[in-house]
Amino acid sequence: MPTERKECIAMLLAGGRGSRLKSLTEQIAKPAVTFGGKYRIIDFPLTNCVRSGIDTVGVMTQYQPLLLHDYIGKGQHWDLDTLNGGVSILPPHSKPGSTAWYSGTANAVYQNQDFIMSYDPEYLLVLAGDHVYKMDYSAMLDYHKSVGADCTIAVIEVPLKDAGRFGIMNTDSDDRITTFEEKPAEPKGNLASMGIYIFNWKSLSEYLYEDEKDPESSHDFGKDIIPSMLRDGMRMFAYRFDGYWKDVGTEESLWLANMDLLDDMHLGLEGWGILSKTAGRPPHFIAPTGRISNTLITEGCEIYGTVQNSILSVDVIVEEGAIVKDSIIMENTRICKGAVVNYTILDENSVVCEGSVVGSEYGSGGKLSVYARGSIIGNEPNE
Amino acid sequence: MYTGLCLSDPHPDRAGDGSKLRTLSAARFAGRYRLVDFMLSNMVNSKIFTIGMVLNSHYQSLIGHIGMGKEWDLARKSGGVTFFPPYLADERQSVNSELDGPLQRAAQFIMEAKDEYIVLADSSVVYNMDYRTAIEAHRKNEADITAIYTKRAISPGERENAVILDIADDGRIYGINRAPYTNEKLNVSLGAYVMRKGFFIQLTANEKNCGMLRFSRILLADALERMNVMGFEFCGYTAHISSVETFFQYNMEMLDAEKRNALFDVEGRHIFTNRRDTLPTKYGKDADIRNSIIADGCQIDGTVIDSIICRNVRIKPGAIVKNCILQDDTVVERGAMLDYIIADRSVSVSEHRSMIGSNTYPVYIERARVI
Repeated sequence: MPTERKECIAMLLAGGRGSRLKSLTEQIAKPAVTFGGKYRIIDFPLTNCVRSGIDTVGVMTQYQPLLLHDYIGKGQHWDLDTLNGGVSILPPHSKPGSTAWYSGTANAVYQNQDFIMSYDPEYLLVLAGDHVYKMDYSAMLDYHKSVGADCTIAVIEVPLKDAGRFGIMNTDSDDRITTFEEKPAEPKGNLASMGIYIFNWKSLSEYLYEDEKDPESSHDFGKDIIPSMLRDGMRMFAYRFDGYWKDVGTEESLWLANMDLLDDMHLGLEGWGILSKTAGRPPHFIAPTGRISNTLITEGCEIYGTVQNSILSVDVIVEEGAIVKDSIIMENTRICKGAVVNYTILDENSVVCEGSVVGSEYGSGGKLSVYARGSIIGNEPNE
Repeated sequence: MYTGLCLSDPHPDRAGDGSKLRTLSAARFAGRYRLVDFMLSNMVNSKIFTIGMVLNSHYQSLIGHIGMGKEWDLARKSGGVTFFPPYLADERQSVNSELDGPLQRAAQFIMEAKDEYIVLADSSVVYNMDYRTAIEAHRKNEADITAIYTKRAISPGERENAVILDIADDGRIYGINRAPYTNEKLNVSLGAYVMRKGFFIQLTANEKNCGMLRFSRILLADALERMNVMGFEFCGYTAHISSVETFFQYNMEMLDAEKRNALFDVEGRHIFTNRRDTLPTKYGKDADIRNSIIADGCQIDGTVIDSIICRNVRIKPGAIVKNCILQDDTVVERGAMLDYIIADRSVSVSEHRSMIGSNTYPVYIERARVI
């Protein structure tokens, strides 16, 4: 166990399913969903931690954790396999007098207070594991200290018409939070919570303890802990963030965020390269018959057909005469001869058989098509 | 268990542009690999986890690449990779005096190795092999030394450094020669040998300055009458890189899917390399790419034909790159044209400049040059 006290450690909530991603998260947790060809969503908060000087991260897992655990490993891909701190995977566990499962985000942190206290931190950074963004948490921590807050919540301005989809913070002129509304029908403001909190650990631990005793509580930060702290008049501040931040909670938003990479590979912050577990496959090959336009391609791919406005993950094969447009093709997927893929997310290890047509042309009014991992689409020619 | 010893030649290419190629084992292959990756991966895939690596001049990039050997699973408590760089054998020596030879440096390592057998391998040969097949044959044949070879014709660029084995029907090697002028298939040594460590120490006892070539052509040739030296044929893809011409020729062979797959898509034998978290490669709206291998981190808006492009290369709109090997961080500006060019790292080609080499003489541009 630790030999060094830490000023601030991070607790990453990675146990959720992300059920609005439907088939994409049937077998894996949402933070393990592939993004941008060679990343998984969890790479973003983990990289942000490392680049912000936070070297101790507890990752709380629960839903379908197998792939996620394997992916995180010992944290070596993010330089988090360190002697003091590093990454710790924290699955639910039973102990005398407690049930095992995490019943809410606050309960998950509550159940891991022994882990947190072993580092005796002044501050606790609580992160949602399901957003795509590049952010320097150390600037937020500086802000938290300078305003003398008990709790600081990162917020981003959203168009007022969309505000009803978010947790909205209403603030006074000093950005002190006055009220908080979860998904308000008639929003009074447009500062949306990004699901990133910094707490003074000492006061948070008291709130977690009280919340645990409340049988009515859903043990959730947004629904229970934050409102309760506000009621008590704690000093809670909004930290305004104006960089790139995308919620990728739905299939459409996941597709859109991927496509943002085609406009700006660096997502607004160059020199903040996202660390990840790289497959280590040979570079990709574009055949004499390959035609590529406005597309991201990574290692192990072989392109004999046409690819436009798309994002291809590791080991994707596009055979001769096949056409891929406005799509996200995940790892180890094959698009066979003459097949056409339009406006689609194809998850890992899938095959689109010879001559098959998938999805409807983007902009033609059709919906985004999504296929789960291991899908075989169309008939295999020999059958 | 076996101990691996990796040896290369101090001055593999004394003539022409070749001297500008950095230590060969650190040269690029197939867009992202270095030559040494293949030898190291072969060792690891053969469960050889104790590897000595004899270094010659300009070895910094090689050490930087291998590091603790983590990517090859060689960062371990027992075994792992040990480097033998040149050093002064005696504090009275000046820096310019003759240094201890490559083998001298590794002698202690071999002497102290716990394993009875060693696998000696040249790090400038590219192939994907499980050495255990050769080790098994070595034991079955009760050989003193087993030399691994392949049957193929050699190109003019390889002639100087090729080691050709004369092999009898029973597999015994009775002669070691330079390459004759012929287009026929020859028994070409891969510079890889299996032997008891005692034999190795005996063979090299008086040889301070022995590199791979001298080991094969002189020491082994001398031993043929005294010892039972057997050949073991490897039938997979091989590339022996010893000059700018062969560097170009064999890199370009990777455009052939069959050869590429024979090297990289072998079940259970992954080729490991140092992984960096480069972004995927971004192709612009007007990019035109044909028959090329392209590594990650590139931004390509121009035309690329029959080429190999390493990491983080930028090819601007209107630029044309044909028959080229462009190594990491090279930038080709708008309207520039390159044909039969090998660019080392960080080369920059200005707008509307053109450079043309030929297939028999690809032009080599030094590191960080601005054209």
